Amino acid sequence: MSSAKQSATWNLQLRQLLLPKLGQEASECEDVIAVDTQNCRFAIADGATEAFDARNWAERLAQHWVQNESTLTLEDFREWVAAEGRELQESWNGLTLSWYAEEKARAGSFAAFVGVELDLRADSPSWQAIALGDACLLHCRRGTLLKSLPLSRSESFNSAPVLVASDSSLHDVSMQSLVIDSAGFQSEDVLLLMSDAAASWCLQCLEHGSFDVDTFLGTNETDELNKFFDDERLAGRIRNDDLAIVRIEIQRRIN
Amino acid sequence: MADPFSGDSARKKSDFVAEVVNHTLHDLVIRCTKTEEVRNYYHVSVIGYGRNVGSCFSGPLSARSMVPIAEVADFPLQVKSSYKRVSDGAGGWVEIPVRYPVWIHPTADGKTPMCEALGKVKMVLEQWLLEHPRGFPPTILHLTDGESSDGDPSELGQQIMSLGTDDGAVLLFNCHISSRRSAKIEYPTGEGSLPDGFARTLFDISSKLPGNFLAAAAQLGVSAIDGSRGFVFNGDPSSIVQFYEIGTSLTGMTPYRWMDDRTELA
Repeated sequence: MSSAKQSATWNLQLRQLLLPKLGQEASECEDVIAVDTQNCRFAIADGATEAFDARNWAERLAQHWVQNESTLTLEDFREWVAAEGRELQESWNGLTLSWYAEEKARAGSFAAFVGVELDLRADSPSWQAIALGDACLLHCRRGTLLKSLPLSRSESFNSAPVLVASDSSLHDVSMQSLVIDSAGFQSEDVLLLMSDAAASWCLQCLEHGSFDVDTFLGTNETDELNKFFDDERLAGRIRNDDLAIVRIEIQRRIN
Repeated sequence: MADPFSGDSARKKSDFVAEVVNHTLHDLVIRCTKTEEVRNYYHVSVIGYGRNVGSCFSGPLSARSMVPIAEVADFPLQVKSSYKRVSDGAGGWVEIPVRYPVWIHPTADGKTPMCEALGKVKMVLEQWLLEHPRGFPPTILHLTDGESSDGDPSELGQQIMSLGTDDGAVLLFNCHISSRRSAKIEYPTGEGSLPDGFARTLFDISSKLPGNFLAAAAQLGVSAIDGSRGFVFNGDPSSIVQFYEIGTSLTGMTPYRWMDDRTELA
């Protein structure tokens, strides 16, 4: 834990959860989590179920984000997304496809994306994030939501978000919805990266004052966590969708 | 159906209807496609009536009254190849090769045995409902260009509307198309505006549009409100397209606007 963006001052606590839709196998999950604690970069990408090769597209986006040091500008984002999209679509060349798969491939692939980079070098640490679609970053302090992006209200989620397209000819329009933001961090602040179903549920709980961020994902017991989220989905409180959550908490080290 | 629409002497109604049905099937397949797999979110029956009453599918699907959408996808009658003109993203146009499937060819002969057709629909539904008692309730999109030639369809229509699953009643929507230059009536809430007894008969056997369908109508810019029936009278070509788009827009699904994005097939 001694890369350029980390320091001896701050300690990172990281927890993550990735669950497929109820009744589906893990291999069918189209949500992807990518984490690089050395680079202090974290991402969630949510491949659109109806799109062609959506999981691969989500994987490419999330992995590129954490493994590279791209700056947080619209121009830079467009450039590397276009390159990844080209590579993905070139990988489909030569495939023998049915008429319907061919049509899907022609439309390209789509995914929601949220990536965050922490800078823990200074005494006042900060985060910078970039997001397109309905995968969200929530910044909480002492149980209060300070910021949520790109969506900030539970009712803002719908079935047709603007997503990251593998076909760069769509970027002139879609990238207009890109959100880039940053903020300072304090000890014991919590960042939550979430795909849409989890984010919508979490924002709704926060709106109703029924969410305890301090204990959220507080257990390492995988079975217990899985059961909690399965029960929430069975009860209809969380939509039956893939779930991806990364909880990041920073604490000042006690020397 | 052998007649043209008013003002369009070059094109038979049956040709246009077959094109819309083929596009609707194409759309359903694409909605259910996940990469290379088609998921059976729908089962489809296409019943035609005229000289004969029965399934419009032919080829490997010909003996089937209800077909899972994955099989519909894999067994079109033919897949035509053509070119589609699309934007190149830089202000110009490029032609790209496309393949488009055809399941049914237009047919227009005989009378209008609506009662026999609705009887066939009822029989197909009853079998499907036995096998899928908890499914999303079936939707019937009934298109006709004339009055029933074999009696009053009211009773059969009511019987179909009384069927259902644990999730709700079967939805029966009716679209009457006309060759005459008569004012079209779309998704009315009451009988007041209807011109005759035939229109009132179809109105009475048309289900109210549920909320999801109203939302789909709104997305297409179609005027439908709470209480509107799934009913069109004296419809024109755009009425038919919208009728199928609204009628196949289920929960959370955006209506497919094929007329908008089709551009030109060269």
